[in-house]
Amino acid sequence: MTRSPALRQRTSGTAFAPGTVARAAPRGVPRPVRWVAWIGARARGAVEVVGRSALFGADTLRALRQVSTWRPMLMPQMRTLGVNSLPIGLFIAVFTGIVLALLASYSFTGAVPLYFVGTLVEKTITMELAPVLTGLALAGRVGANIAAELGTMRVTEQIDALETLAYDPYAYLVVPRVLAGTVMFPVVVGAAMLVGVGAGWVAAVGLLDLSSQEFVKGLRLFFDAFDVRYGLVKAASFGLVVTLVGSARGLRAAGGAQGVGRAATSAVVYSAVLILVLDAFWAVAWLLQRAGV
Amino acid sequence: MHRSNDLLVGAVVLAVALGVSGATLWVKQADIGRHRDRVVARFHDVGNARVGNTVVIRGVRAGQIESISLARGGWVHLSMSLDPAVELPRDPVVLLNESSLFGEWQATITPRSALPRDETVLRQVAEASGGGDVLPGATLPDIAKLTAVAGQIAGDVANVSQRVEVAFDEQAARELRASIRNFADMSSTLARTVHEHRDDLDTLSRALQSAVTTLNRTAVSSAHMAELMDSSTSSGQIRQMMDDMAQAAAELRRSSTQLRVMSEQLGRTQGRLDAFLANGDSVFVKINHGQGSLGLLVNDAALYRHSDSLTLQLRDLVSDLRANPKKYVSVRIF
Repeated sequence: MTRSPALRQRTSGTAFAPGTVARAAPRGVPRPVRWVAWIGARARGAVEVVGRSALFGADTLRALRQVSTWRPMLMPQMRTLGVNSLPIGLFIAVFTGIVLALLASYSFTGAVPLYFVGTLVEKTITMELAPVLTGLALAGRVGANIAAELGTMRVTEQIDALETLAYDPYAYLVVPRVLAGTVMFPVVVGAAMLVGVGAGWVAAVGLLDLSSQEFVKGLRLFFDAFDVRYGLVKAASFGLVVTLVGSARGLRAAGGAQGVGRAATSAVVYSAVLILVLDAFWAVAWLLQRAGV
Repeated sequence: MHRSNDLLVGAVVLAVALGVSGATLWVKQADIGRHRDRVVARFHDVGNARVGNTVVIRGVRAGQIESISLARGGWVHLSMSLDPAVELPRDPVVLLNESSLFGEWQATITPRSALPRDETVLRQVAEASGGGDVLPGATLPDIAKLTAVAGQIAGDVANVSQRVEVAFDEQAARELRASIRNFADMSSTLARTVHEHRDDLDTLSRALQSAVTTLNRTAVSSAHMAELMDSSTSSGQIRQMMDDMAQAAAELRRSSTQLRVMSEQLGRTQGRLDAFLANGDSVFVKINHGQGSLGLLVNDAALYRHSDSLTLQLRDLVSDLRANPKKYVSVRIF
């Protein structure tokens, strides 16, 4: 399980160390030239981000082949990232369902039949709110957790120790987390869907002038199994992105405790942004295609 | 530790998977492993019907649409799965229609006799009939088509109102307003006139009523007179009398002629005869004119009898005069 010098260089972060872009233009150069050099350095930095991400993804894919390395770590990660994330996911879902039912009834007053509360709660929870809100919550919990854990291992040279012991840090640290996140995010989101719709149902019956039969009628009116499938696929993509970003930021952490903090923060920020970008991507790539627009 | 992780993660994954799958099947009202009857209907066009839409019989959910596919001959085959306990109505027909104003469609299985009396629907069903086991189907217009027609009607109404507006310009409106004012004035004048002449009208109507009463009374009298006339004329007495008089007059004229021939020689007798003839002539003239006693004679039987008696006596006198002229006339020759 030996690692190439190039891979070792990438995992240690020396190939794309922070500050290399800023030092692109040396002092003593005329100001216009420095400006041009600065623009060039920024452009190179943007391309480097893409290159780093592609190399990170490729290394992770390559590490998938080392099943014996990542398999023992998979279940603990699934428990940590998935099962232990259920409470926060369900908590968000409960209040989302309640608020959505009340908001729908407020909007429908006098214009739309009240049983459409069921339709709106089902569509919104399963297709949008459960995946996105749970994804954002888990981006904070899971992404920061992974980035901080791997960053600490990086700054305390534990990863170097693993490499010395001929362990591939991608196979041992990244792959189980990415797989656990990709598998367990849909589980948490599925549970959030059930709880969110159930909470909306209870809120509609308990707080609104709506019978259980009417809510179920609205629930079934425009229900399509695709709604659930769409939400779960989105959740899996969110899990993949959150764990990949957290792992990448953690592995590239440098500068002691401060560097770990920066890695955790940037992991959460990038994960949240990518979740929203992916949400729009799925809507355009899948919903529009299905709707025939 | 590893085993507890495996157990916990496996339990959570299984629970969530079963929960989501069960909830999905429950919401979709799916019947896994249950036998379903399959019915196929054909349409020219299935509108916005989709797989999974409800199938309804007499307003009760009886199944769902399983598949929609194009078929030969320009048909669309729509396959429906029905609950086994459901009995199709006699001579069934499938109608596709919107089940609400929010775009949801459903398939309604109904007997042909219960079809709406719409020419388009009946034509569609007639065209789709004869497909063997495939039921005939028709698609009712959706709300979009109805609103499109309503929009067209609204446009026509707008055109008409625009034309009316063009024809009914300001001048026409002023004239119409003036006509209405004139009519109102005329109505008030008429009302005032009627009010003022109400007494005159009452008097006139009372006089008219009196006149009518008088006329009725006159009519009764006329009827009575007519009855008398009728009774007189029916017996022929007047005619007989008139004939007799005419005959007597003729004879008298002959006698007077003879007497005139001998007039130069008549003395006192001539004067009396002349007076008598003059009086008789006067009487006859009056009779001819319906005047005098003879006129009364028409209405008075007593006078008739007297006149009859007088005539008889006159006839006897004339006969006696003929038989014994010397008794009354002394003729002297030279």
